[in-house]
Amino acid sequence: MSRATKTYIKGVKVSERHGAGEWTAERLSSLILVPLTLWGLWTGYTLSGAGYDAALDWFRAPVNASLLAVTLLVSVWHMQMGLKVIVDDYIHKPGSRGALLGLIGLFCLVVAAAGVFFIVRLALGSAPLPAGFGI
Amino acid sequence: MSTSPPPGDASSDPTGDATGRFLVQPNGRVRPLSPHLQVWRWHVTMAASILNRMTGGALSVGAVVVFAWLMALAFGPEAYATFTGWMSAPLGLFVWFGLTLALCLHLAGGVRHLIWDAGRGLSPKTADALSWASMIGGVVIAVAFWAVLFASGRVGL
Repeated sequence: MSRATKTYIKGVKVSERHGAGEWTAERLSSLILVPLTLWGLWTGYTLSGAGYDAALDWFRAPVNASLLAVTLLVSVWHMQMGLKVIVDDYIHKPGSRGALLGLIGLFCLVVAAAGVFFIVRLALGSAPLPAGFGI
Repeated sequence: MSTSPPPGDASSDPTGDATGRFLVQPNGRVRPLSPHLQVWRWHVTMAASILNRMTGGALSVGAVVVFAWLMALAFGPEAYATFTGWMSAPLGLFVWFGLTLALCLHLAGGVRHLIWDAGRGLSPKTADALSWASMIGGVVIAVAFWAVLFASGRVGL
């Protein structure tokens, strides 16, 4: 569905389809990631060589666990969009492109889901895995 | 076979071929080869843009390393000791440094692109300056980060 009237912002035509949405999402995610990356560097500095117990203590603070979960999810979102653009640019065969995009999506889903799972367990102070999973 | 004169004004066509990039077209006119990466005159904005894509790809691999750290932590002290054992060896530290460097370059490059996407800093001079600033800035932040890490005694060789 194209819009009835073409929209312009500062003399630049606004996309009639979905391209602008992807563009905006990529910029929005990078904008969010700027402070989170700086925080991530600080975290890396704090936890470097600090050992297992210090890392566990760090996760017990709700602020740390929540910020890390947000960083993980926004990063994976950003990564998925970035990898998709690379594949869209260089892989022209529809079959290969579709397969690669599918693999990237699967990879991102696994990293996001398993990552949040680990973060939640660490934040709650659960017993080390695979406890409770019958292995 | 009669030769017709080249069409158009051929008087300003290049006569020497010092660069090896010129080709006589079938119509007799001398034209430069179509530029591609191999023959393109590298410009700093182009290098910075390619670097941003490369570091972004590298960070996707780096994400696996960070994920492995998280996983090792969730699997308890023994798994964590194994992971940190590998990653505090010289090769492991090198991987961490590469990850930090890619992260800092991608961060600085991302800020540069956000400035450009806001429609600012697009004059050739400013765009060049921003490209240099983001590349040098990224390296400086990463090196400083590791200098502080070593100086604080948190990591060592």
